[in-house]
Amino acid sequence: MGFTYLDWFIVAVYLIASVAVGLLGKRFVGKSVSHYLVAGRELGLYIGIATLAATEIGTITFMYNAELGYRYGFSAFCAALISGVAMIIVGRTGFVIQRFRGLQLMTVPEYFERKYSLGLRLLTGILVALGGILNMGVFLKIEGEFLTIVSGIPVRYLVLTMTVILLLEVLYTVAGGMVSVVITDFLQYVLLSVATVLVSLYAVHYAGWSNIVNKVSTTMGIAGYDPLVNPKFGAAFVIWQLLLWFSIHTCWQTTAMRMFSTKSPEISRKVMTWTGFIYLGRGMLPMLWGIAALTLFGVGPMDHGAPSPVVNRSTLATIDAMPAMLSQILHPGIKGLVVAGMLAATMSVNSSYLLGWSSIISQDVVLPVRRLLHKQPLSSRAQIVVNRAANLFVSLFLMFWGLYYTPPGAVYLYLNITGTIFLAGAFVCVVGGLYWRRANTVGGYSAMLMGAAGAIVPFFFLHSNETIAGFTAFGLAAAGLVVGSALGRPNKLPLMSGTHGTGI
Amino acid sequence: MKVWQMFWSISLLVAGGSFAFITAVVAVKGFQDLRDLFRRLRQQGDKEQ
Repeated sequence: MGFTYLDWFIVAVYLIASVAVGLLGKRFVGKSVSHYLVAGRELGLYIGIATLAATEIGTITFMYNAELGYRYGFSAFCAALISGVAMIIVGRTGFVIQRFRGLQLMTVPEYFERKYSLGLRLLTGILVALGGILNMGVFLKIEGEFLTIVSGIPVRYLVLTMTVILLLEVLYTVAGGMVSVVITDFLQYVLLSVATVLVSLYAVHYAGWSNIVNKVSTTMGIAGYDPLVNPKFGAAFVIWQLLLWFSIHTCWQTTAMRMFSTKSPEISRKVMTWTGFIYLGRGMLPMLWGIAALTLFGVGPMDHGAPSPVVNRSTLATIDAMPAMLSQILHPGIKGLVVAGMLAATMSVNSSYLLGWSSIISQDVVLPVRRLLHKQPLSSRAQIVVNRAANLFVSLFLMFWGLYYTPPGAVYLYLNITGTIFLAGAFVCVVGGLYWRRANTVGGYSAMLMGAAGAIVPFFFLHSNETIAGFTAFGLAAAGLVVGSALGRPNKLPLMSGTHGTGI
Repeated sequence: MKVWQMFWSISLLVAGGSFAFITAVVAVKGFQDLRDLFRRLRQQGDKEQ
C-alpha cells in the first residue's frame, strides 16, 4: 500500500520545518571556527544526548540492524548489547573521552599532532576521511531503498529523491555547521524516537510475540538465541565487537565531536552514559522489526540459514524485508509519521557525518599540508570556507558513488570492517598516547599502517570473514605500536601535552 | 534455549523502556538546553566583537 495525501503532507511539513530550523543556526555561527565545528563547546546534557543519539541513529541503522535480526534472530541482540554496554562503561569511567575533552580538540586526528607529529596527523586524517566517506558511501542507496519500498515512490525516482534530500541536508549544514546540526538533531531525535516506538508496537502487534519466538525456534534453533553457538558470531566475534565498539565510542569522529562540544568533561561522561541506554534500543528494537518481518514473510527458500522473504509473490533481499513489512502494516497517517521519522534519522546522520568528515579534510588534511609547505596559517573565516568546500566535495562524491555501489554481505558487518580500517590504528594510538608514556611517533605510524593493512588485506584480498579481519587489524595495530615504540626514539612530550611533536 | 529466551526478553524490555523514558526526558529538558546554547553563543559572539 503506497502513500496517501495525508502521509505526503506530514512528510512535506517535516522537511520544511527541518530545513527552516536548520538555517536558524547560521545566526549563531559568526566568524568563529569553534562555533562552526564544536558549537562553541556549549552543549548541555540533554541536548548533548539528543545530538549524539540522532547522529548515530539513521535509517541505515534501522536497515542493517533489521537485516541482522532477520538473518540471525535474537542472537543478533548481542551486537546491540555490546554497543550499549561499552558506551555505558566509557561514560562511567571517562575512558579516553574525559582526557580528550580536557585537551579542547576539534577533531580526533588533531590529537595525533599533540602527542605524536604533524605527519602522523596528516596520515591519520587521510585514513579517517577515506574510511569514513567510503563507510558513509553506502548510506544513500540503502536509505533510498527504504523510502521507495515504504512510500511506494517508483524506483526510477530514487536517485532524484535522494539527491534532493542530500541537498537539503547540505544547505543547512554548510550554512550553520555544528549549531545547525545540533538544532535539527533535537527535532529529528524526538521525531525518530516516536517513529521507533510506534513501529516496535506495530511490529509486535501484527507478528505476535509468541509467533516471533516460534519462528526463530523452528527456523534457527538454538543458533537463533545463543550468539556463542551461532556460526556467524561466536566468542571471537564478541571480543572483536567489544574492541570495535570501545574504539567507535572514543575515536569515531562524529561521536567524538559531540564529546568535544560539551560544556565540560563531566557533561561529556554523562552524555555518553545515558546515550548508552539509548544504544540498547537503537540496536535491539530494529532487530526486533527484522525478526517480525521474518515471522510474517520468511517463507521463501533458505539462504544462509534463514528463509528468504516473499512479499506479493516476489522474493526480496533480506535487507528489504523490514521496509516491506512497514509498507503493509502501517495505517495512513502513521505511515507518513514513520517515514518523516526515518527521514529525520537520515538527515540527522547525514548532516553530522558530512560535517564530521569534511572537518577532517579541512582541519587534518588541508591545514597540515599548508603547514608542511610553509604557507601562512588560515584565518578562522578562511577555515570555515575550506570546511564548506570540503562539505560540498563530500556531498558530490556521495551522490555520484554512493547511489551506485552495493555492499557485499550483511551491511552491518561491511560497515564494521570499513570503519576498522582506521579505527584499529586510531584507537590503539589514542589509548597508547593517553595512557602509556613510551608510545612514540614510530609506534604511531606502525600502528596506523599495520591496522589499516590488517583490515584491508584479509577482508578484500584473502576474503577472510569480518571477525578474522577485525581481529587481525586490532592485533597488528597493537603490535605495531608496541614494537615501533620500542624501536623509535621516545617523544619528549608529557601525556597531556598541548605542544607539537618533533618532526614529521 | 529457555534461558536465552528469558534473557533476551528482559534485555528487550530494558532497552525499549529506557529508550522511551530517556526520549521523553530529553524532549522536555532539551528545549531549555537549546535556549541556553543560543544565549551563550550570543554572549561569545558579543565578546568577540
